[in-house]
Amino acid sequence: MRPFTLNYASPRGLSVAVTPYHFDPARQLNVLPDGRPAVSDPDLLLAVGTTTSTAGSATHFDD
Amino acid sequence: MTVLILTSEEDVTADMVVAELHGMGTPVLRLDPADLPGKAVLSADYAHGDFDGHLSVNGHVLSMSGLRSVWVRRPGEPAAHAAHPSPWLTAETRQALYGMLHSANARWMNHPRNADQARLKPWQLRVAHLSGFAVPPTVFTTAPRLAREFTEEHRDVVVKSASGPPPDDPSLALPTTLIGPDADFSAVGAGPALLQRYVHKSADIRLTCVGTRLFAARKTAEPGQVDGRYGDTGHTWQPVPVPDRIGKSVHEYVTLAGLAYAAFDFAEDEDGIWWFLECNQGGQFGFVELETGQPIAQTVALWLAQRRADRRGG
Repeated sequence: MRPFTLNYASPRGLSVAVTPYHFDPARQLNVLPDGRPAVSDPDLLLAVGTTTSTAGSATHFDD
Repeated sequence: MTVLILTSEEDVTADMVVAELHGMGTPVLRLDPADLPGKAVLSADYAHGDFDGHLSVNGHVLSMSGLRSVWVRRPGEPAAHAAHPSPWLTAETRQALYGMLHSANARWMNHPRNADQARLKPWQLRVAHLSGFAVPPTVFTTAPRLAREFTEEHRDVVVKSASGPPPDDPSLALPTTLIGPDADFSAVGAGPALLQRYVHKSADIRLTCVGTRLFAARKTAEPGQVDGRYGDTGHTWQPVPVPDRIGKSVHEYVTLAGLAYAAFDFAEDEDGIWWFLECNQGGQFGFVELETGQPIAQTVALWLAQRRADRRGG
């Protein structure tokens, strides 16, 4: 029998958007194509949603 | 002295703290335990009458004698990225890495022992009661009859997961959901159910605690809204002051739990009471800082960089 709580699961709607930054091993943070740290663009971070309380929940349940 | 951050490369919230540490001139080593062994290298020895150890990754090196603090942010499973991963290799790598780190004279945000306990939802409610928070009536049960009786008594009840969505199925979300006494409770016998009296809320409150610093943010809820994490209501997070009584309870809670960092979720009802929902010992904060401008990343960086003797002021 399916556990009770899972009866209330719903599709997550996984994003297929590619984050417009990549990890820079030397600086140890993510950078934009022009070399600026991704964190220098707050509007972009809000738009991609990678800092939200559901980000990373697939591997961590600390929302 | 160096700050060690255990997290994945794609964790841009950690970037916010790395950038602050760079600005302060504090050395950082960022390591994902998933990259060990392989991209990252570890060595610990007890060969010369004392303990010493080193970690290196991407050309950066950390000596255990120079380790100031460890921030356990979003670490991957040890050895997850290894050429031939296995549960045994993960167990061996976990022993090597965390055994070495526990042997160093560093402080933790948060200590893994305390973090493991702090994740347990039933325990959170107990500590919340002891700390003086208002806590909605809640039941955890595998008994269908008790689940039905709880729901009949409280009428408006939500079901939520204690541990989050199933980790083996990233396509699933488990939002907190309102149910009624007409629900079929027979499946409660197949897995523990967490049922809680629904709080008719006017707003969600997110309170982030870093050391002794508190940052509270409020987001107006739509009428009947249940889980503020899902769905866009058009409202944004706004900074709000922390009521004195809540501040005292937060300090009591993190002291009892042994936490240096914690993100509390409250539901604010129509009378302005903040009802404790949960405390996430590793909760996200980037979205709050980006919308409110509260300097949470800077405060985390300062806590991590401080000498042990200075910690109480943090």
